[in-house]
Amino acid sequence: MGEAIVITSGKGGVGKTTTSANIGTALALQGKHICLVDTDIGLRNLDVVMGLENRIIYDLVDAAEGRCRVQQALIKDKRFDCLHLLPAAQTSDKSAVSTEQMKQMIEELKPDYDYIIIDCPAGIEQGYKNAVSGADQAIVVTTPDTSAVRDADRIVGLLEQEEMAPPKLVVNRVRRINEGDMLDVDDVVSTLAIDLLGMIVDDEEVLKAAHKGEPIVMNPNSRASLGYRNIARRILGESVPLMAIDQKKSFFSKVKSMLGLKA
Amino acid sequence: MAQAPEVKQMSTGPAKNLVTIKGTKEGLTVILDDQCSFDDLTKELKEKISNDKQVFGDGPEVEVKVDAGYRYLLNHQKEKIKHLLEEAESILVGEFHSEVISKEEARREREETGLTAVTRIIRSGQILRIRGDVLLLGDVNPGGIVEATGNVYILGTLKGIARAGVEGRETSVVCASVMAPHQISISDAIFYAPSRYEKKESGPLFGEPVYAYIANQDLEISFEKTRLLNQFQSAAAAKQGETLST
Repeated sequence: MGEAIVITSGKGGVGKTTTSANIGTALALQGKHICLVDTDIGLRNLDVVMGLENRIIYDLVDAAEGRCRVQQALIKDKRFDCLHLLPAAQTSDKSAVSTEQMKQMIEELKPDYDYIIIDCPAGIEQGYKNAVSGADQAIVVTTPDTSAVRDADRIVGLLEQEEMAPPKLVVNRVRRINEGDMLDVDDVVSTLAIDLLGMIVDDEEVLKAAHKGEPIVMNPNSRASLGYRNIARRILGESVPLMAIDQKKSFFSKVKSMLGLKA
Repeated sequence: MAQAPEVKQMSTGPAKNLVTIKGTKEGLTVILDDQCSFDDLTKELKEKISNDKQVFGDGPEVEVKVDAGYRYLLNHQKEKIKHLLEEAESILVGEFHSEVISKEEARREREETGLTAVTRIIRSGQILRIRGDVLLLGDVNPGGIVEATGNVYILGTLKGIARAGVEGRETSVVCASVMAPHQISISDAIFYAPSRYEKKESGPLFGEPVYAYIANQDLEISFEKTRLLNQFQSAAAAKQGETLST
């Protein structure tokens, strides 16, 4: 019996879809059976990020309304046999699916997979309610800026009212910053007061990968990729240390810190 | 409720002296018997007033207090007594006093003076409303609101909005371990924190626990170290005592 994990954030554009695609792919890399579910009806993106937009025949709304079986709407990933995608409809809107229908579909998928990753739309309206209704766990994605953290806080408050385990946090697009110019990861964690599942450093490679329709985790040399792979390992129960934000130190600074001087 | 034995004995006699008018140093008090029926009471009150009308005569208006003892007076009964007493033109009914209150009033009074402890984080978009004082063990995040009719005590960081004395109690305080609020209000006074950009640095306004209070007549909110809170509260209590006794 699989576990359904919803990826949500409140605010748009913080990387829910990218995170969903990459956590899903990273788990598939570990040989797990994964189903990605895009619940952003009307504004579907997950299929594009995964590079699967050409293969869609049926979608979530078709399955919900009984025009096809849920299994028929699934698309098999081109890279992994164990990774499937249930795409959202592009022509309807969020009200096309009810929370009951959503719950039923997720229940139907659970026996066939290890994890079901639900990509939640931005906002706290019907789309959010649908995405959360079927989930057993939640991951809140935020970036280290005030407005994203404020929205994440709201979402955490709403998730606490659901019957599920306390949500986990992913801080996306972390940069190396000067003290006081921006929030750092510690500020975000102390404000939200939930467990940190992982952080993803800001990496241009993510954009390039999305453009190619290939999740960044497929590139083993990217630091963002490593962040997502670590998150996947933590979801599977391994304990993996957080990686340092500033890895690219010059040779000189390394020598200096070795000598105990200030880097 | 406890009985008042001495009053009871008085009323076992013949049906008179159900209404006693007594002069005290605070003025006249009309003491009503609390064992007889309300009808008997009003009848005697009516007689007494019409008999004593000339006693009160057309002198200056006197304010009288009505003491109902262990009788619970409903609103319309109060109205009736007030009406009867004010038949005598120079009498003005001041306050009603009674040894008993309804359960509802008792519950409300306990709420208003009680302290409610809450253990949670008040997150963005959430509102915690409490009657009386509130002790919050947790943070108030930006966008979250804590409201109390009494004092607000926060064992944690106040980053959102705190409102104390929302029904007008100006002696209320907002107290927080770490004070970094967006806004504080006490009664009608509002404090807006300096915006993030005006502040030289981010973080709390003070390096130690402080409380916010109304400092002067202009309804301006000031901050003071929490360890001095006892002085403020005892001064406030003394002030309140003063206004009551005058």
